[in-house]
Amino acid sequence: MTKGARQPFRTAVLILVWGWLLMLVLAPNLLVVGTSVLSRDPAEFIRLPFTLDNYIRLMDPLYLDVFLHSLYMAAVTTICCLIIGYPFAWALSRVSKRRQTLLVFLLIVPFWTNSLVRTYALKLLLATNGLINNALLAIGVIDEPLTLLYTELAVIIGLVYLLLPFMILPLYSVFDDLRDELLLASHDLGAGRWSTFVHVVVPLTLPGVLAGVLLVLLPAMGMFYVADVLGGSRNLLVGNVIKNQFLDARDWPFGAAASVLLTVAMAVLLFAHRLSRRRLGEEGG
Amino acid sequence: MKKLALTGLMAVTLVGCGSSEPQVLNLYNWSEYMPQEVLDRFQEETGVQVIYTTYDSNEAMYARLKLLDDSAQYDLAVPSTYYVNKMRKEGLLAPIDHSQLTGFNNMDPELINLNIDPDNAYSVPFLWGTTGLAYDADDVEGEPAAWADLWDEAYQGRIVLTNDMREVFHVGLRVLGYSGNSTNPEEIEAAYEKLADLMPAVRTFNSDAPRMPYLEGETDIGMIWNGEAVMGKEDMPSLEFVYPEEGVIVWLDSFVIPKNAKNIEAAHQFISFVMRPDISALISEEIGYATPNLEARNQLEAEVANDRTSYPTPEDMVNAEFQEDVGDEALQLYNKYWELLKAGR
Repeated sequence: MTKGARQPFRTAVLILVWGWLLMLVLAPNLLVVGTSVLSRDPAEFIRLPFTLDNYIRLMDPLYLDVFLHSLYMAAVTTICCLIIGYPFAWALSRVSKRRQTLLVFLLIVPFWTNSLVRTYALKLLLATNGLINNALLAIGVIDEPLTLLYTELAVIIGLVYLLLPFMILPLYSVFDDLRDELLLASHDLGAGRWSTFVHVVVPLTLPGVLAGVLLVLLPAMGMFYVADVLGGSRNLLVGNVIKNQFLDARDWPFGAAASVLLTVAMAVLLFAHRLSRRRLGEEGG
Repeated sequence: MKKLALTGLMAVTLVGCGSSEPQVLNLYNWSEYMPQEVLDRFQEETGVQVIYTTYDSNEAMYARLKLLDDSAQYDLAVPSTYYVNKMRKEGLLAPIDHSQLTGFNNMDPELINLNIDPDNAYSVPFLWGTTGLAYDADDVEGEPAAWADLWDEAYQGRIVLTNDMREVFHVGLRVLGYSGNSTNPEEIEAAYEKLADLMPAVRTFNSDAPRMPYLEGETDIGMIWNGEAVMGKEDMPSLEFVYPEEGVIVWLDSFVIPKNAKNIEAAHQFISFVMRPDISALISEEIGYATPNLEARNQLEAEVANDRTSYPTPEDMVNAEFQEDVGDEALQLYNKYWELLKAGR
């Protein structure tokens, strides 16, 4: 193929990609940032003058408390996902290729059902007269139904359930690349199982862990509907504050400021991720 | 994953194409506020298909209508009392053409020509109802009779409140003896402090279907809309509805046509259809709220017409208060305290 024939295609693709990024990524984000420095208007949502009040209000102990609590719930979710996802991904990478395809497929199947619907389904499991309580009562493990629904625990269970695949998939990809020869070599050089794990397996899978953590931690802070449905509107996430500001309080500038804060947190984590990859000598990977 | 994203994109495109069909009425209504049978019969008789979309708060409805104003996504909406006033004043509504309506003369004279909308130029009453106290008689000892009883320590962790800022503050204000429509900052703050004491005992907020936490067994006492209480009692006979001593909250929900609605003719057709006494009676029987249609009230089954939960007696309405527009300044104050209430743990 000559260079001339390739050029129009290349140009078209570039225009598409850049157009996409500008229109659907940059422009909306600029609008959010722009809104966050405007003032609230009761009828038109936003108006001049420019102000930083919205960011100052975010420093209010109330919102700081919500942010920290939300971060706490997201962190517990991430740790749970890691504890479940790490061995899962390892086991997944050890079975035959055909099985792997099937298991990865099964992992993705729940995505075909809307996550809100799945959250409501969890509600049926966790309710006082729900399946879990009824089962435990029937086999005599408990005498009184457990209080599960509308608690912090319920929110965390919901988040872990919805986000676990996002932890497993990047981990699976690093475990899949982990060559048996390296483990054998480590063994031959006298390292025990624990030593091999700490000095060979962990460093090699660290990029997957970091990617998984990124994919779980931040979305967890934004999934307001999980807190609404399972937490009974009591255990607020940052996502709830943003949603409430836009829909209920109609304070768009403040909601936008909260959302910018979340984006900045995401950027900081991505930056840290990049730094750590560079340190691991994996750039461009 | 890329394939997945592509499929999603295609699905969105397809849905986007489907919405431009002729003879469709986009109805934007509260959840569980219109029996499916009514929509089916309307389509049968007129050929107009009703696309039914729901919301769970006036605030959410208002925000969407305001945003989608120019694209005219909805042909009919059902705001509560004070929101009719607000939306009318802000020019968000198209006037009702009374010459296109039939059956308006059946409306209860006490529920038309209110100060929220003089001469009903922009709204037609759909249903009215109350927000009162409910409890599960199987799990609650004694007979709670007042909002103040919610503060009883016995109910720790067993209370549900509606997820409605104005209603929750209404309760706080009434317990302290103030008007539920107070605009006085000191009274609102006092109500906030009173409610903050209650918060640790509150298990959940619900405005989708406030009967559900009772039916699920999660809560035993709290606030409820009277229609929800009627629907809930069918599944759980021990669910009791009480008109609290401090007074119930009263509201009237009305049909309005958003400005720039696409199908104004069908919107009028639908309003007329719902004003038909047989249809209006059917709705009231089905979902438990009171019809403002006097002719329909005559046609109600005796069991429904005599149900105090749906149709309160004059004694039940002692101290009752209509929700009114409190203005933006007071609303901001309510908002601030509402955030504090919900975020505080």
